[in-house]
Amino acid sequence: MTHPAAHPTTTTPISRGGAAPVARVENVTKSFGLGDGRVDALRDVSLDLRAGQFTAVMGPSGSGKSTLMHITAGLDQATSGRVLLGDTDITRLDDTQLTLLRRRRIGFVFQAFNLVPTLDVSANIELPFRLDGRRATADERAWIGWLVGTLGLDSRLTHRPHQLSGGQQQRVAIARALATRPDLIFADEPTGNLDSKAGRDVLEVLRTASRDHGQSIAMVTHDPVAASYADRVVFLADGRIVHEVGASTPAEISQVMLDLERAA
Amino acid sequence: MTAATASVTAPRPGGGPGTRSSERSAGTAPRTRSALVEQLLEHRPSVLVAALGTTFGVALLSVSHIVEQLIASDPAVAASGTVSTMLDLVASVFVGLALYVGAIVTANTFTTVVAGRTPTIALMRLLGSSARDQRRSVAREGLLVGVAGALIGIVVGTLLVVVAVTVLVARGTLPDLDYAYVSVGGLVPAVAVVLTTVAAAWIGSRRVLQVTPLQATGVVQEEPVGSRPRRVLRTVFAALLVVGGGLLLLAGVVIGLADAIGVLIAFVGGVLSFSGVVVGAHTVMPAMLAGVGRLFGGGQVARLAAENAVRQPERSTRATIGIVIGVTLVTTMSVALETLRTFIGRLSEDPVYAAELDTMFTTTLLIMAGLVGFSAVIAAVGMVNDMSLSVLQRRRELGLLRAVGSTVGQIRGMILLEAAQMAVTAIVVGVVLGTVYGWAGAQALLGSANQGLLIAPTLPLPLLVGLALTAAVLAGVAALVPARRATSVTPVEALAAR
Repeated sequence: MTHPAAHPTTTTPISRGGAAPVARVENVTKSFGLGDGRVDALRDVSLDLRAGQFTAVMGPSGSGKSTLMHITAGLDQATSGRVLLGDTDITRLDDTQLTLLRRRRIGFVFQAFNLVPTLDVSANIELPFRLDGRRATADERAWIGWLVGTLGLDSRLTHRPHQLSGGQQQRVAIARALATRPDLIFADEPTGNLDSKAGRDVLEVLRTASRDHGQSIAMVTHDPVAASYADRVVFLADGRIVHEVGASTPAEISQVMLDLERAA
Repeated sequence: MTAATASVTAPRPGGGPGTRSSERSAGTAPRTRSALVEQLLEHRPSVLVAALGTTFGVALLSVSHIVEQLIASDPAVAASGTVSTMLDLVASVFVGLALYVGAIVTANTFTTVVAGRTPTIALMRLLGSSARDQRRSVAREGLLVGVAGALIGIVVGTLLVVVAVTVLVARGTLPDLDYAYVSVGGLVPAVAVVLTTVAAAWIGSRRVLQVTPLQATGVVQEEPVGSRPRRVLRTVFAALLVVGGGLLLLAGVVIGLADAIGVLIAFVGGVLSFSGVVVGAHTVMPAMLAGVGRLFGGGQVARLAAENAVRQPERSTRATIGIVIGVTLVTTMSVALETLRTFIGRLSEDPVYAAELDTMFTTTLLIMAGLVGFSAVIAAVGMVNDMSLSVLQRRRELGLLRAVGSTVGQIRGMILLEAAQMAVTAIVVGVVLGTVYGWAGAQALLGSANQGLLIAPTLPLPLLVGLALTAAVLAGVAALVPARRATSVTPVEALAAR
């Protein structure tokens, strides 16, 4: 469990929920290209994502935050290092195993194009179950029903994605991500395409899922307001984790970003 | 700090191959291919369709020209003028059919190409180009495609006939005459191909008018699915044709019970009602596709495939209607001839005569099926192309499906089912229509000879087996390349694509 060079600049975060990591990134490096054209998107990154926590990963464009998310979620391969989801070393899984892992143990919310346009809202939410060749169980249906009600999607179940506003589309994506009660939800700039009101609603939903239902969430963002909804904010720059704070206000987070910018 | 320097000087990820290729060609010539070649490459399927149509037309007219020369060389045959006119007429019907199907395919391809170019067109609009300018430039590409395809077709079609005649002369099947292969009339199909291709490109580029400059600003909305333009006039016209033609067909059958003249009335009714089916296909085919899609089961993969096949109703209709036309005509002829053969076979008891009859009917059928079948080949090219393009334009969605847990096998299965759905629907609709028309024709012709009684239609088994095989092969081929393309991209790449 010891992690020597894990967090060089770590300040002790407010640890809420279980201390056990739901996912653990160990010395991950990701490089693109070879020789002179080689670019390191991630350099020896180690990070624990704790169970039940809402973690934000912040950094400027090109800092490697999306790459980190993709690798942690098993969407992309690390050049070296390993990633554990629970006890599973996902860097050793083949494509089919990774696919099943994403289907059953991970939820996704992307910035846009979250929904399958040919399926209505209810079919989009049930997609992970249906891909598994089954219908949701009674218990799962009750959970989905509760989610749909809470997210204000009751009257939208038979609508197609293009009939919904951006905020509604994101809430459907969140419902889908939460429906399987995954180990971990990854959200990649989930508010990037939304106006500030819709964005706040979406962030509130994510925070509630984590706070009231113990859902572990990792969110990638470059927006200090979005990051302020998280329990913990990890800062990435030039492919390295350079700083970390607990729950903070947008102003404090912006200040950290500015300081990092100045130090660079 | 070294790290920062490195990331400044290094090219962006993915820029690697591009950089290398520009270095390689930097010494010799500018990297870009000429714009002309670039455009033709993008329109490869349309050039292929135009070339196929021209090849068929030029070859067929050339063959009929050769037959005329053969007849002219034989002093025993008189009235060769009538025969040659007849030959040209029959050839024109088949060529016209191929060109019509080709035009539908090309219009569809252009629609899809324009859809894929929306961001570029939007940018041009943003920079001040008018929608009409943009559309005109697409139509110009149609001209280019038509001319390129026609030139290829003239060469290939003529070569095919020259080779075939040379071989036949060498084997002694044909007399060694000084054949003229090229005639002015033989080039008519080439001109017709250019014209129909331009017209098809113009129709297919209608979508350019809907592109707004705002679409260039990156606010990309998910495209509405299942919306279709209302074409009230067209639907009414189609309904009139179907109902009117259908009534004439029925009248032909009824009159045929008393007099064989009924077959002519039935023929007119058949032509009219089938034209109605083709014109109004946009109201029927999507429902048929959806119906067949439901037969594939309620699993998620089948369900996605079923929705995909009708997400662009207009496009799916045009992708399948060519195959419907081909299959309907082949089935009509087969069923009519087979019913006729069974009927005549029942009348005569002489086995030698029956065998001769068999050979004659089979030969006629094979030639006719071959001639009509060519249109079906062009239609099949269109369907394969439609599948490829639609998968290409759905990359993001495929990435999303992979991210939320679709296996590679599920994606492949979805695309295969989608292709199967289109192939099966088109062929089943064709067989049903063809059986009705074929039977109606035979019935109208023979009703009076059969003491005013009804005759059961005979469906030739080899035809059904052949069509089932065709459906399987067509679905497989149409799914092959798109499936590989769809599963070769990683979810990350697909999600990043705009």
